[in-house]
Amino acid sequence: MSGRRVLVVAVAVTALVLGVGASLALGTIDVPLGTVVDALLGKAEEGPDKQIVLQLRLPRTVDAILVGAALGVAGALLQGALGNPLASPDVIGVTAGSGFGAILILLAFPGSIALLPVGALVFGLTAATLVFVVAWIGPDGGGSARLILAGIGIAALFAAGTTGLMTAYPDRVQSAIFFLAGGLVSDGWDGMKQIWPYFAVGLAFSVCLIRPLDRLALGDDVAASLGTRPRLIRLGAGGAAALLAAASAAIAGLLAFIGLVVPHVIRMAGGTASHGFVVPVSALGGAALLVAGDTLARTVKPPLELPVGPFMVVIGVPMFLWLLRKAV
Amino acid sequence: MLEATDVRVTIGGTPILHGADITVEQGELVAVVGPNGAGKSTLARAAAGIQKLTGGDVRWDGQDVRKLRGRALARLRAFVPQRPRVPAGVTVRDAVRIGRSAHIGPLQRPTAADRAATERAIERAGVERFADRMLTTLSGGELQRVQIAVGLAQEAPVLMADEPTSHLDLGATVSVARLLRRLADDGLGVFLVVHDLALAAAVADRVVVMSEGRTVASGPAESVLDSARLAEVWDVDASVEAGSQGQTALRVSWLGDQDMTRGSS
Amino acid sequence: MSRAATRAACLAFVLLAAVLAAPATADAPKRIVALTPFSANTLAALGVKPIAIGQTLGGNENFLPSLRNVRTLPLAHPNGPNMEQLASLRPGLVLSSPTWTRGNRTMRTLDMRVEVPEPLTVRDMYPRIEDIAELVDRERAGRRLVARIQREVSRATQDLKSRPRVMLLLGVGRTPYVFLPNSWGGYILQLAGARLVDAGAESRSGFARVSDEAILDADPEVIIGVPHARAEDLNGIRDYMRSNEVWKLTQAGQNNRIHVWGDDKLLQANLDVGATVTRVRTRFLKNR
Repeated sequence: MSGRRVLVVAVAVTALVLGVGASLALGTIDVPLGTVVDALLGKAEEGPDKQIVLQLRLPRTVDAILVGAALGVAGALLQGALGNPLASPDVIGVTAGSGFGAILILLAFPGSIALLPVGALVFGLTAATLVFVVAWIGPDGGGSARLILAGIGIAALFAAGTTGLMTAYPDRVQSAIFFLAGGLVSDGWDGMKQIWPYFAVGLAFSVCLIRPLDRLALGDDVAASLGTRPRLIRLGAGGAAALLAAASAAIAGLLAFIGLVVPHVIRMAGGTASHGFVVPVSALGGAALLVAGDTLARTVKPPLELPVGPFMVVIGVPMFLWLLRKAV
Repeated sequence: MLEATDVRVTIGGTPILHGADITVEQGELVAVVGPNGAGKSTLARAAAGIQKLTGGDVRWDGQDVRKLRGRALARLRAFVPQRPRVPAGVTVRDAVRIGRSAHIGPLQRPTAADRAATERAIERAGVERFADRMLTTLSGGELQRVQIAVGLAQEAPVLMADEPTSHLDLGATVSVARLLRRLADDGLGVFLVVHDLALAAAVADRVVVMSEGRTVASGPAESVLDSARLAEVWDVDASVEAGSQGQTALRVSWLGDQDMTRGSS
Repeated sequence: MSRAATRAACLAFVLLAAVLAAPATADAPKRIVALTPFSANTLAALGVKPIAIGQTLGGNENFLPSLRNVRTLPLAHPNGPNMEQLASLRPGLVLSSPTWTRGNRTMRTLDMRVEVPEPLTVRDMYPRIEDIAELVDRERAGRRLVARIQREVSRATQDLKSRPRVMLLLGVGRTPYVFLPNSWGGYILQLAGARLVDAGAESRSGFARVSDEAILDADPEVIIGVPHARAEDLNGIRDYMRSNEVWKLTQAGQNNRIHVWGDDKLLQANLDVGATVTRVRTRFLKNR
């Protein structure tokens, strides 16, 4: 068993390292690997190559790593907390809320485009808060079914709002499409400078939730017997997932696939649902997947940079299906 | 160890328990019996501190359950629910290790003592044979023994089991019954909610009968489970008999008065 | 004057001219990237050749013939041009569009000089031409260009024989948006003498969604549709617009005055205002 897990981690780490290398070296302009290394070490000459590596590709790669990791972890947390294999950040309304917030800025206040990440974050968290409030009040509050249903309802609300905005500002809809499809943008460190604290808090919180989620896996009653409060853990996991997903949307738009599939792939590959394994390795796997997908999205039809969302599907689904066959 | 007095519980506006009393000491197996809706599970959960009390008093080793924090309570009692979740990707050993968490601090790693306690729990519950298998590959009886092992890993003086045998076949039921009796003999306090009256009579040191949210009787099986009680609480014509070699039997008049049900014949 | 004095004076004059001229030409940026047809064509009209021009995907921008061999950069959301491609060109100046706000910010973090001299209406055009001329140090040529365009517009807007009520519609897919007076196309139509029918709509963006009912209610004499499409698709769109059941009921429909416009001259800023106004009047408004 343990050997299998070690192998999975090794594969994930290797994929991540190779992905990062590719992300820094490949793109519309060919930058030789030597120059990439020089630039990273601060030894490169001034010029477009150095700018491309350090100001365009490096921030984008870091974005991809953090967003991929955050979404992988968010999915793992939610699947553990809700006990439902279909759980993902979309389920708690964060994706729809973030979409609304970002589209609001893009379409209604395009001059304030610097506020795009803030809009996505604020509305993503608002949507999640609404979902939790609706799911919590009344009898049987805090149960998984309530949470999922509330998520579907609030998500529909914000999705309607987004559609309304797109109808009201039809000439600007084009600028919104890239965000909705989910994609990273080469725009330097600006985004991450604003948003990194949310990633840090979310990831730190996730580490603390690992053991409680293992207890929750055995059922609410057993968890209670062991001194955990199931509803509190569910709320905490949902909150951490919401934070990570909203922060991710603020940087990379609506990437729906990673949070759902990566934890499953990790569980199937590693043969275990232990959160001490699944949560950190989902971070590695999500990061590797997004870095690889983004590199592909940028190099498939240069100089066009396609949205990375569809590439997640192209890379991830065959992997998922193959593992599914083996598991069954 | 456990002293519950005049326990009252209201759930969603409906009063379920109207004053129930029960005590469990270490080394004794107390069986709680009663018809559906009598409030057996609710009493178990209230006593375990999992269900909020509306009134009454529950004390563990003299301490009020409402004042005991999760971990401290987890070291006093282990609760095994009726149909626990069976998550995928978890082995028996993984699950029993999780049962140990009351003894492991949030940032600590499991120590050698914890690992030894996990193995002890696995042994006591008799699940060593399949300790490395996934929970999802186990049969009902094996699963129930694993759940008990998880509870044993808590190393609490009292084990509370809510109808652990209701969904098991005869062989599995016997296996669990023997395990529980052996645990009680080894000094564990066992609070067992059970449907099967013959089983209760066989394994329990004391039987508590519940009806309509109250505890109506408490004592040894022979005196508590007499025909009058069965008729009064379950509205059946039945009796519990103890045979030789620890066998018990429940004799029930299943079809009632033959002449009346058959009509004219 | 003695020969020596004359020579000295000439020398002084030449030196003075050189001194005055030198800093001016040193200021003008050499490697210019123009991301809009307006800025690209203005540069070309001023005699300055950019090193690259931007072309939106699926757009049909018209560029002056002198720009034919200039490298094109594909433009797409969200950044506009590909930032790596742009960086490798080492531009001294980028003339961009307000559409690419995100890209403009990124360009500035890459230490590029970015200016956005893009007119929203025809009235803005003259000051923007002069802005571009100043940026590339061709102020005189800029003033001459402005004067020439003003003459062309003046000639094109003379003698308005009639002022028909016209609805100018942007066919975005299958949903129509009306050009408002504050849009580029709307202003051109007004210069051409049309009374622009806007069905009471108002919008800062210059476009507003209208329903077929509103179009019927407004009952314009002429309907001009501007599809957002490639040349190959125009016929299909023309057929669709002509066969719209509701539009057929308007005066324009009854009198067969539903037309389709084929290029981007009404959609975004360009230098051919005069010629466009003439074309509108001759072919669609019939008031020339």
